[in-house]
Amino acid sequence: MERRISLPMLILAIAGFAYMLFPIFVVVLAGLTAGEFLTFPPEGLSLRWIAAFLQSEKYLSAFFFSFRLALMTMVVATVLGTAAALFLSRTRMVGRNAMRAFFLSPVVLPGVVIGYSLFAFFIATNMGISRTIWGLWIGHILYSTPYVIGTVGAALAAYDVSLEEAARSLGASPWRAFRKVTLPNIGQGIQAGSIFAFIVSFGQFEVSLFLSAPNSEPLPIAMYNSLRYKFDPSAAAAGIFAITLVTASVLLTNRLVNIRRLLERQQD
Amino acid sequence: MSFVEFFGVTKAFGRTVAVEELNLDVRQGEFFSLLGPSGCGKSTTLRMLAGFIAPSTGAIHVHGRDITHLPPEGRDIGIVFQNYAIFPHMNVFDNIAFGLVERGEDRAIIKRKVDAALEQVGLSGYGERYERELSGGQKQRVALARLLVIEPEILLLDEPLSALDKKMREEMKFWIKNIQKSVGITTIYVTHDQSEALTMSDRIAVMNQGQVLQVGTPVEIYEHPNSRFIAEFIGESNLLSGRMGRDHVAIGDTAVPVSGAEGPTDAEVALLVRPEQIRLEPVFADEAPMLKGRVADEVYQGSLRRYLVETMGQRLTVEVPNRPDLAQLPPGADVSLYWRPESGVVLR
Repeated sequence: MERRISLPMLILAIAGFAYMLFPIFVVVLAGLTAGEFLTFPPEGLSLRWIAAFLQSEKYLSAFFFSFRLALMTMVVATVLGTAAALFLSRTRMVGRNAMRAFFLSPVVLPGVVIGYSLFAFFIATNMGISRTIWGLWIGHILYSTPYVIGTVGAALAAYDVSLEEAARSLGASPWRAFRKVTLPNIGQGIQAGSIFAFIVSFGQFEVSLFLSAPNSEPLPIAMYNSLRYKFDPSAAAAGIFAITLVTASVLLTNRLVNIRRLLERQQD
Repeated sequence: MSFVEFFGVTKAFGRTVAVEELNLDVRQGEFFSLLGPSGCGKSTTLRMLAGFIAPSTGAIHVHGRDITHLPPEGRDIGIVFQNYAIFPHMNVFDNIAFGLVERGEDRAIIKRKVDAALEQVGLSGYGERYERELSGGQKQRVALARLLVIEPEILLLDEPLSALDKKMREEMKFWIKNIQKSVGITTIYVTHDQSEALTMSDRIAVMNQGQVLQVGTPVEIYEHPNSRFIAEFIGESNLLSGRMGRDHVAIGDTAVPVSGAEGPTDAEVALLVRPEQIRLEPVFADEAPMLKGRVADEVYQGSLRRYLVETMGQRLTVEVPNRPDLAQLPPGADVSLYWRPESGVVLR
């Protein structure tokens, strides 16, 4: 779809994007500095801090810990979020809008509040999962699932239920009608939602701050802890890897799913 | 004889009653239409028969078997939706094969049956196409072929022509009717379009506000409607209000003879006269016309002229075929109106 954008709008949009992307640009350059300290502009360019990141036991284990946590979160958030979105789109129950708002509330609530609440809850109930990967996992699932509900909900809003009804009256059981007809038609939304869940979990900070254990930290926490004590460009180098991973998954999503079309369909 | 039967079926959504105490009786092999304005409960009735919604009370029988609580996949009923519901992620061949695959048919048999179905609906060679590559009429043919291959007992059609343009609609009307006749399948057709119902149906049930008002052949429904609602909903109608006499209806001080009227005299009634049943003649000075009127307006419609005529203090629409031997009357002309007593239908 071709849309004409007026010149002032275009300038405003470019300025807006530049403003938002500038910090990323700063981090990338700072991570490539040749100097001893995290400065901008960088003192010459080198890959020494990239090498330092790759040799750092602490950063690498944090990176892979985050990666693993994000994958685990993605799997559960995708299943839960898809099920919730299906329920919300099909039910005629009174209070379904309140329920939807409740399911989506982790996105609106400050992460600090969620992190603190879960931490206090785990301690108070003496469940033994505070400051373990399991407690952290629960926190990340809580925080990521709404993104799946949102994207799958958008896909379901565009999905014509009569397709599933047609499958049923042609002889398919409820489960087979779902798997053979509904699932392929909302699959793009589910894929997009699961990749969002991965990205959100990978970059999560506030919830992790309360729930992660000192010996197994996700990457954002490791970077934060490192910067608290020394102004070391290896944190920026770690940032470069995180940015690369997230960018790659967004590009991957875009290849798999036409996000723009998904969002446009939701407006119909 | 009875094939599909509804026994006192009621469906309520919360406080709204969509269908109320519905009793219906559809015969085997019949083309049966549910006709009514939107919101009259016809689609709800169809969806209850298909098994997508459960009746609040009452029972539905097919072939004498109670199917009220069977899931859709256990009913052997095929449905064509308003938007055809072609599976967009499958090509035409796989769409048509869907029901056969679900029944665990052999691959060779599926291939043979799907090819035969494609030929039957005139879409041979379209097997590889996808929904987005089909026109509205082709989608409808695919939707029908997808059902016919599984040879269901009953075919349900939910406003299948409403998404097509006018020319296509006319074509598909006869096409669907022909397919139905050649297969001999019991068909229930939901529509709000009276001309579709009149041309295609063996029998019609006219519905309004969740109830069936009249069941009959197209001729019975059009020529002998049993209520003012049906008289006005189906076709053009003139309803003259008057008072029932022994063998006439008194409209103002004019006694209009009617035939075969039953019921108590001296009651307020409406006399239905269809516009094409009325003959208009110019009035000459020495003549005593049956009913005297004056042309108020004239609309030229190509094949006919439509006159608005004032008579007995009321207004009538009259259709006159556009033929040189029939009178053409300018507005303001005095006219006399004639119709046969049996053309008038007394509605109480």
